[in-house]
Amino acid sequence: MVRLRSPQVEENIFIGLMIASTFIVVSSLILILATIFIKGFPALNLDMITKTPKGGYYLGKEGGVLNAILGSLILGIGATFLALLVSLPLVFYLNLYLKKNSKLALAARFSLDVLWGIPSIVYGAFGFILMMFFGLRASLLAGTITIALLIIPIMARSMDEVLKMIPFELKEASYALGATKLETAIKVIFRQALPGIFTAILIAFGRGIGDAAAVLFTASFTDSLPYSLFKPVATLPLAIFFQLGTPFPEVQQRGYASALILTIIILCISIFSRILSGKFTKHTIK
Amino acid sequence: MEIKTHISVKNLNIWYGQHQAINNISIDIPDKKITAIIGPSGCGKSTLLKSFNRLIELQDGAKVSGKVLVDGEDIYDPKVEVTHLRKKMGLLSQRPQVLPVSIYENVAYGPRIHGIKDKKKLDEIVQRYLIESNLWDEVRGRLNSSASKLSIGQQQRLCLARGLAVEPEVILGDEPTSALDPLSAECIEQRLLELKNKYTIVLVTHILRQAKRLADYIIFLYLGNLIEHGPAEEVLNNPKYLKTKNYLEGKFIEEPKINKELNLKRTAYPNNFVTAKLALGDLEFGHIVKIIVDNESSAIEIPKAIEHEGHKILEVRKLNQNDWEIVVQKHNGGYVI
Ligand SMILES: Nc1ncnc2c1ncn2[C@@H]1O[C@H](COP(=O)(O)OP(=O)(O)O)[C@@H](O)[C@H]1O
Ligand SMILES: [Mg+2]
Repeated sequence: MVRLRSPQVEENIFIGLMIASTFIVVSSLILILATIFIKGFPALNLDMITKTPKGGYYLGKEGGVLNAILGSLILGIGATFLALLVSLPLVFYLNLYLKKNSKLALAARFSLDVLWGIPSIVYGAFGFILMMFFGLRASLLAGTITIALLIIPIMARSMDEVLKMIPFELKEASYALGATKLETAIKVIFRQALPGIFTAILIAFGRGIGDAAAVLFTASFTDSLPYSLFKPVATLPLAIFFQLGTPFPEVQQRGYASALILTIIILCISIFSRILSGKFTKHTIK
Repeated sequence: MEIKTHISVKNLNIWYGQHQAINNISIDIPDKKITAIIGPSGCGKSTLLKSFNRLIELQDGAKVSGKVLVDGEDIYDPKVEVTHLRKKMGLLSQRPQVLPVSIYENVAYGPRIHGIKDKKKLDEIVQRYLIESNLWDEVRGRLNSSASKLSIGQQQRLCLARGLAVEPEVILGDEPTSALDPLSAECIEQRLLELKNKYTIVLVTHILRQAKRLADYIIFLYLGNLIEHGPAEEVLNNPKYLKTKNYLEGKFIEEPKINKELNLKRTAYPNNFVTAKLALGDLEFGHIVKIIVDNESSAIEIPKAIEHEGHKILEVRKLNQNDWEIVVQKHNGGYVI
């Protein structure tokens, strides 16, 4: 009798464990969102998203963080674009032109994995040295390049996984009709991979727009709106960092409001990507 | 009637890394006939088929030696443009693999990459080949919807239309009905029978009844070796060699146990035959001798002469560029394993 029941107990323990894990993930998301919302919402007003900082203290008790919102968006989009220019050719080369066990592909994937693991502050420091070498100052351009370097491994490796999932028979079908590698890449593989590629882009963008350490030395910070590639630019993560770091409760609260804005931007991107990738999957083969 | 050869395979060897999947095969495939490649799974049917349009090159570690002549031209010649070759050889794979685009674009894909841009012409091509593959009536109203939403049977017919749309000369089918329901399978078989007037068809199948229904010509492979080939009626109803017979009867195929090996290289017919005959005289009934010769005429004449003596030929196989092996069982006592 006891023997019969013991698997049931094991089963229950595992089910309990699985439920607990799921609960931890979902509840921490809710907790984070709630904290930011409760602390930041009172300070959130139209000024926050339409004005630049004003009034006395560093970063100001009045005005808003439009400088950082615009700065982050421009820098994020620019960096994502640069990263895309590198990642797309790279992953197509890895998956279509190189053999599966080629040494070069192995080396490239290993490098990407290592690069993915390097902390962003190191990218910041590297970007800074690069910047000095080329005689650049902390600027939108330097920040964009640094963030691009930071997100290339993320973007390329995600795309790589997507392309690896494409059935070999699909390539075969295209080649069998007399298509070249390039035609196959552009007209077939790209089509099939588009939803995944799109997701990879957005993941990379989300990571880029949210990083503070990489832009600390390279993009610096400013109260004014971005207006030149070669001038410093404000970003939301740094705005949050500075605002929360001040000893003034009002400014701190504005920090939470900025965090709320950044979170909303990232949330919008996620939802937007879900909707769009649904559109892209129209013809894809499951 | 003289049979014209379309694809001619000469001393073809194919390796995957260290593993040799095709073992010195030489064979002619007739023009505008259905040739079926049969054999147990893993014997190299797909490998042989994929060497005809050089898709084999996409496999990691695959190495090819020997020649495949299509219309007399060696397709492994470095000067051959592989895209032109593949345009000539339409492929129907085991599982239909539609492209991630609409039904229309699936058929138009081939003609487009080969330079047809005119919309009206493309419309015409799409309609013509969808009709030819018997799919038109089912999809005419939804040409712009996804190909992946079609049933598997419809997808295979779409793949056929897509392949025909590039105007190939040969259709290569790798068990094209094995993933389909019986009705769709019959539909594909029907198409192939109609198409053989216009195309040379090479069909890999492990369904013997399908080979019987469709094939004019049979190639039987076993473990990468060409065991027997010939007109379908002969091979299917009256196989020459033991392995073919066992396979057709659904019996276990076993390598015959060789009792004696006889190296008759560097001797010509009929001298080598006399040696072989003497050697057979010393053997017990039912015992098996393997004879190696190094010229084709001996490989043709010795088996005939030995059979005339009342012995049984179990297998005749080309080993490499020069050598042939003939496996003989003494007297016709029935082969016992
Ligand atoms: N890509 C590959 N790499 C290594 N071995 C392979 C590969 N493809 C097939 N083989 C081997 O080659 C032999 C013939 O395979 P295949 O031509 O697919 O046989 P069939 O189509 O008759 O079932 C088998 O032993 C198989 O394991
Ligand atoms: Mg096969």
